[in-house]
Amino acid sequence: MPDPSRYPGYDVLRKRHTPSWNDKTRQVIDARLAVPREPRFFDAHELATITAVADRLVPQPRNRPPIPVAALIDDKLHKGQEDGFRHEGMPREREAWQRGLAALDAEAQAQHGAPFLHLSGPQQDALLKQMEQGALNGPAWGGMPSQTFFKQRMAKDIVFAYYAHPTAWSEIGFGGPASPRGYVRLGYDQRDPWEAAESKDGDTESALRKNRHVG
Amino acid sequence: MRTKQAGMGLLGSLALGAIGVALFGRGRQAPPARRRLLEALALPPPVTQPVERLRSLRLGDTPRGPLQRWLGIPSSPAVGRTARIRAARRLDRSAGLLATSVLLDSALEHYRGSFRNPAMYTPLGVSALSLAASLHGTGDPRSGRHPFRSTIYAAAALTGIVGTGFHLYNVTRRPGGFVWQNLFYGAPLGAPMAISLAGLMGSAAEHVRDDRPGTAPRIFGLPAGRMLAAMSGAGILGTVGEAGLLHFRGAYHNPAMFLPVTMPPAAAALLLNTAAGPARRDRWITRWWLRLTALLGFVGVGFHAYGVQRNMGGWRNWRQNLLNGPPLPAPPSFTGLALAGLAALDLLEDEPDA
Repeated sequence: MPDPSRYPGYDVLRKRHTPSWNDKTRQVIDARLAVPREPRFFDAHELATITAVADRLVPQPRNRPPIPVAALIDDKLHKGQEDGFRHEGMPREREAWQRGLAALDAEAQAQHGAPFLHLSGPQQDALLKQMEQGALNGPAWGGMPSQTFFKQRMAKDIVFAYYAHPTAWSEIGFGGPASPRGYVRLGYDQRDPWEAAESKDGDTESALRKNRHVG
Repeated sequence: MRTKQAGMGLLGSLALGAIGVALFGRGRQAPPARRRLLEALALPPPVTQPVERLRSLRLGDTPRGPLQRWLGIPSSPAVGRTARIRAARRLDRSAGLLATSVLLDSALEHYRGSFRNPAMYTPLGVSALSLAASLHGTGDPRSGRHPFRSTIYAAAALTGIVGTGFHLYNVTRRPGGFVWQNLFYGAPLGAPMAISLAGLMGSAAEHVRDDRPGTAPRIFGLPAGRMLAAMSGAGILGTVGEAGLLHFRGAYHNPAMFLPVTMPPAAAALLLNTAAGPARRDRWITRWWLRLTALLGFVGVGFHAYGVQRNMGGWRNWRQNLLNGPPLPAPPSFTGLALAGLAALDLLEDEPDA
C-alpha cells in the first residue's frame, strides 16, 4: 500500500545509532518515547478531555502510531516543569490546567448538556473557538481569562507536546537535533543524505527509496 | 592543547610525507657532474661547418629568439634527448598529481553541490582523462608528441578556463553578488585553474618531448625551462591565493595554517627569479625549497585529516565532516606545482649527458 504522506517511509528514529545522535540525544528521546500512558497528575477523564481537544487542534497522522499528547502534558505537570513565568490573570500551570478543563466541561454542560468529551466534532470546535475569542466566562473559570488559558496554556502545551514527539518529526520531515551532526547543504531545496526526502509531484517512489537510507 | 594539536598534525603529516618522498623522491637518478661541463665550456670549439655548429650548440646555449631578446631574458642551455625526456616525464608526473588533486577535490565538492548543474561532472571526466594521459606519459620513454595526450591536455587547459567562468557565474548570482561572504562560501574561483595548470604542464611535457634535439625546447616561442618556471611560479601564487582565502575563513586557528601562505610564496619568488635569471646556475636553494614545498603538499593532507577529526563527530561522522572539514585532496596541488618547478629547474641547469 503506498504511503500517502509527504515524507513517505521516513522515520527519524533510524538515526538512533548514527552520528546524528549521541548518548544525550538517545537518553532524552527514549524518555519521551517511554512516557507512561496512565494518568499521574490528571485523572482519567481529564486525560481523555485533553486527548479530545488535541484531536481537534493537531489531528494525528493517518498512517503512523498516535502521539501521546495528553500523556506528555501529564508527564510535564507531574514533574512540575513550568515556563518560569505567568501571563496576567493566570494561576500556576497545574492549577490553570485543572481549572480550565473543569470550566470547559461546565461550559459544555451548560450549552449542550454533556461533558466536552461526548460532544460532536463541530460542537467541540465551536466551544474551542469561543474559548479562543474569550467568550467563555462562566463562574467555573474563577476569574481566569479563557482566551489566555487557550492561547497561552492549552493550545501551546498541546502543540509543543505534539511536535516534541519523534513521530511528529517523521511526519513533517524534521531531522531532530542538529547536533552532534549538523548539515552541509544549506541552500534552498538542497538535501543532505541524512535528511528526509520530500515526495514531489507524486514521485513517491524516489522519496521512499531515499528515506529508506536516511540515518 | 594547541601544542598537542600541532603535534598530532605533525605526526600524521610526517607519516604521509614519508610516503610522498618514497613515491616521488626517486625522480633524480644521478646528480649530473656540472663541473665537467664548465671545463668543456672553457674552450669552445671553433664553429666551421653546420654539423660542428650543431654540436657546439648541444654544449652551449641556444641563440635567443626575437621575443626573448625583446623581453631581455638571458639564453638557455640546449638540452639533449635523455634530459629532455626526463623533464617531460617529470612534467607528466606533475600534471598527474595536479589532475589527481582536481579529480578528488572536484568529486568531493561537486558531490556536496549535489551535481545540480550537469556541467559539474565535466572536471571529473577531464581530470580522470588527464590523469590517464599523465600516467601514460610518465611511463613513456619515447620522444615525440602523442596525439591522445596532447588533445587531452589541451582540453584540460580549456576546461579550467570555462570552469572559472562557471564559478564566477555561481558567485555573482548568489544574494549580494561579489562579496567576501560569497567568495568564502560560493564556488571557489581559483579551483578550476588547477585543472588548467595540469593541462598546461602536460602540454609543456608534450612540447619538451617534441622539440628538435640539440636545441633548447620552447613553449610559445620562449625557452621551455623559463616558461615552466614562470608558469609553476604563477600557479603556486594562485594556489596560495586560494589557500589564503580559505585559511583566512578558518581564522588561522592552527598555526600550521600559515605554512601554505608563507612557504610556497617564497618558492614562487625563487621560481620567478629562476625564470628571468641567468641559466646554468646551481640553484640549490631553489631546488631544496621546491622539494620542501612538494613535501608540504603531503603534510597538508595530514593536517587536513586531523582537521576532519577535530570537527564534531570526527571521522565517525565522515559523511558530514569530509565535506564540512578542510578538503583532503587540496594540498597536493602544491606538490604538483613544485614538481613542475623542479622539472623547469632541470631544463635550465646544464645537462652534460646531452
